[in-house]
Amino acid sequence: MTTPALDVSGLTVRHGDVLAVDGLDLRIGRGETVALLGPNGAGKSSTVSAALGLVRPAAGGVRVLGRAPADAVRAGCVGAMLQHGGLPTEARVGEVLHLVRRSYPDPWPPDDLVATTGIDGLLGRPVEALSGGQRQRVLLALALAGQPPLLLLDEPTSAMDVEGRRAFWVTMRALAARGTTVVFATHHLEEADAVADRVVVLAGGRLVADGSSAAVRSAVSGRSVRLTAERLPDDLPGVTAVTRQGAVATLATADVEATLRALLDHRVPLTDLEVRGASLEDAVLTLTTGAAR
Amino acid sequence: MSPLLAFQLRRIGRNRQFLFFTALLPAGFTVFFTQVFAAAPGGVSQDVAAATMVAMMAYGAIGAALGATIRLSFDRASGWLRQLRVTPVPPGSVVAVDVAVGMLLTLPPLLVVALVGRFVNGVRLEPGAWVALVSVLWLGSAVFVALGLLLGWALEEKAAGGAIGITSVVLAALGGLWVPVEVFPSGLRVVAHALPSYWYAQAGRDAAADGVPAALPLLVLAAFALAFAALAVVVARRRPLAAVAG
Repeated sequence: MTTPALDVSGLTVRHGDVLAVDGLDLRIGRGETVALLGPNGAGKSSTVSAALGLVRPAAGGVRVLGRAPADAVRAGCVGAMLQHGGLPTEARVGEVLHLVRRSYPDPWPPDDLVATTGIDGLLGRPVEALSGGQRQRVLLALALAGQPPLLLLDEPTSAMDVEGRRAFWVTMRALAARGTTVVFATHHLEEADAVADRVVVLAGGRLVADGSSAAVRSAVSGRSVRLTAERLPDDLPGVTAVTRQGAVATLATADVEATLRALLDHRVPLTDLEVRGASLEDAVLTLTTGAAR
Repeated sequence: MSPLLAFQLRRIGRNRQFLFFTALLPAGFTVFFTQVFAAAPGGVSQDVAAATMVAMMAYGAIGAALGATIRLSFDRASGWLRQLRVTPVPPGSVVAVDVAVGMLLTLPPLLVVALVGRFVNGVRLEPGAWVALVSVLWLGSAVFVALGLLLGWALEEKAAGGAIGITSVVLAALGGLWVPVEVFPSGLRVVAHALPSYWYAQAGRDAAADGVPAALPLLVLAAFALAFAALAVVVARRRPLAAVAG
């Protein structure tokens, strides 16, 4: 029986009057790759911050590899990319990396670390001269500097372009294959889907879904059909909800084809027809209402 | 030397403006003030030359101590302190290193101005008085290291830059570092006596004159250092260094 990488129990985090995390329970085993998925304000960052000891929980807590968060960080068990992390001014990339590497008991060999994170050629550069994408790669190198068994990443790709994102997730998959536990917060459904073998959906500081990415995806696979129509027939197949804004109707449906077929059969003119995938907000809404049912 | 201390010293060593304003500018002033008064009838007495040198040593050390420690505010604003918090670098050592850096950086202005005073302006003191002067001003700079940490902790990056400039000017001008307190009107003299910079320079003047600093300035300086450090601790409790803003 090994201790879990992350053991969140009854975690409650408040920022002033705002309840950011509301009694969250979550266990993440070693070697898992887990996406914390949710819209802005879902409590993802607060959960990650609590796991790093950056915020003090109002109630409950987090054990990181069996230790208190601050102790786990001190022991070099955790690497992190923060949303509001940064690099010092008046320093060169290589100096920053050297400082952080030296603080870990078992640092990643420098040449390999530099190659893995794609920062060769940047080591002599002043931090101020980095582009946004380069900066993000340096921050990744700092997170990996100690070869930590657990990586906590708070929206790591938010400042990256498409190419950077792809390279980033290739690196993450390679680390996961080596047994590193990777926990990342994101609000991109596709990212969670493509990388994680488990997806935890948060909304309003609570857990609303937890399962394989396929299971979560199927729960949110609905589409929305929009069209301009004064009247619609009742009981359209597949439709789970209808909302209206004036003449524009939006149908949430689990089966686009059946819904459209039925509309045509009822000779509804398909004026301004639009079919879209459900957004993450829609998905969370589906999951939360589903949980309430 | 701890890796973090070496890292911080390298960063500030790269800042040429910092070294210029804290060490070379006061040294230039020392020469300038003395030459200006030298043009007056009767020239410059040893006492005036020594007093000018001591005042400029104090001025440079105050600027260096405040300038070095206010950087805490910049490092918080950039997110670097938050980043450091998620590495094994102990949070306590970050503050300890900033104190050490502040104390070390007051040495260049003290030594440069003292050398200029001795060899350019011909200030003559007993060897023991030189040692006492530099030591007392070096240890006394702890007051301004504590003040700089307090301001760096309490203020946002943008406010901190301005606050540090105004604070040094007030401390220097009203503390009698640019113009001797003896020529102040009596009301302003009261203000000077309420400032740590006056007592700091006074401790230096006593050391230069007698070879030992007098007790009163040292007691006042110790009280200021304790007060600033205590306030800094209060602010730090309310506002951890890893916080992003607010």
